[in-house]
Amino acid sequence: MLAGDEQSFTALYRRHKGLIYRFALLMSGRAGVAEEVTQEVFLALLRNGSRYDPARGSLTAYLCGAARNQVLVLMEKERPYVQLVEEYDDDDPVSIAHLVSGDDPLGDCARNEANRLVRQAVLALPARYREVIVLCDFQEMRYAEAALALDCPVGTINSRLHRGHALLLKKLRAAVRLDSAAPDAQGMRCFA
Amino acid sequence: MNCQDFEKLALALARNSLLDTTTREQGLIHMEDCGRCAARVAEERALLAHVRAVAAGMADEEPPARVETALLTAFRAQTAATAPSTIVSASRPAPRRTSPWSNRRLAAVAAGILILISIMAIFWRSTSPRKPQGEERAVSPAQEASPGTPKPAAPPDAVSRMAVERPKNKPKRARGQATVNISDEAEVVTRFFILREGENLAALDSLQLVRVELPALALSEVGLPVDPETMNEPVKADVVLGQDGLARAIRFVR
Repeated sequence: MLAGDEQSFTALYRRHKGLIYRFALLMSGRAGVAEEVTQEVFLALLRNGSRYDPARGSLTAYLCGAARNQVLVLMEKERPYVQLVEEYDDDDPVSIAHLVSGDDPLGDCARNEANRLVRQAVLALPARYREVIVLCDFQEMRYAEAALALDCPVGTINSRLHRGHALLLKKLRAAVRLDSAAPDAQGMRCFA
Repeated sequence: MNCQDFEKLALALARNSLLDTTTREQGLIHMEDCGRCAARVAEERALLAHVRAVAAGMADEEPPARVETALLTAFRAQTAATAPSTIVSASRPAPRRTSPWSNRRLAAVAAGILILISIMAIFWRSTSPRKPQGEERAVSPAQEASPGTPKPAAPPDAVSRMAVERPKNKPKRARGQATVNISDEAEVVTRFFILREGENLAALDSLQLVRVELPALALSEVGLPVDPETMNEPVKADVVLGQDGLARAIRFVR
């Protein structure tokens, strides 16, 4: 990629774009921010790709670290502004997923509501706990890799994960039944 | 194992993380005996299940194709060795230029330079011999400007009122002065011009002498002739500062 091979860059982008986008989406809760962060992370990789040292850790961790920094910067910038409506782009097939239901509309509704509550609770966490939960729980990243991405010791990841879980459980206890596991994803049926 | 010890294991057990066999067995035994801790692990497992359900629901969420298009445009622009500023010009939406780390780095470098200068100033002050008060007085511009001070004849090409001073006649540095670095070479300097009419510099407690550069036009402010062709060129000057930091007198150096 650094040698100017476009195919390599495209392959690298396609392999990691989802991870970075979802990380930014879970961290910010906004598709616009996630899109911008994804673009900035890969632009930064284009500009400063030589700074990545494979000996220090995986590219995934490096990119997640860059995404985390971008998210924090953007969120800090946009803190004075309050989003009034959720962003949906009608042309984007991904964004209309909320209009699609599975075979069990009532179950889907409950699941969607539970998912929404979980995402909302995650977004309400302080950033230092949120980023650890997003990386370790949502992205299922190993603690050591998360430590590299967040540039902190593994012990810090562990303690933040514990604390983050405690906060998340406190927020969710009243809203979601936590004594039963969430149902698996099912086939989808369009109501549109 | 008590409940407090088990609390540290709860998340690892819920996540099925790798644990020492003995620790794991002790934890499981404790779970069998303690309903509260068993419920704690069940709660963690339920939370993880919810989290994974959310993650599974988001598995298809990806950035729109326009991001890839913009990045490829940037990539081609970069490989074509165009200016770095054009890298993102074709992107939509226009990405905001966020470079917090470069700004922070600059700030850190600036802070480092300031600290270095401070250390050097402190070192210079601690190593340079203290001048007695009387000696400081002796170098005050007022005295230097007094009519009794012998002044060698001005060189022909110099400003008419300039005088040649040898290092021994140079004003001594005032305390705390770290910015002036007067070399031992002979310099051509004018007398000191008092900037505040009627001020007696000898009455001030302490003075500082600071070497600055000014446009040659400043010579005219004290009545010295200025060549119109060189009026914007810099000239060196020694400014005498009072304790309050205000300029009290000035002399020009060549």
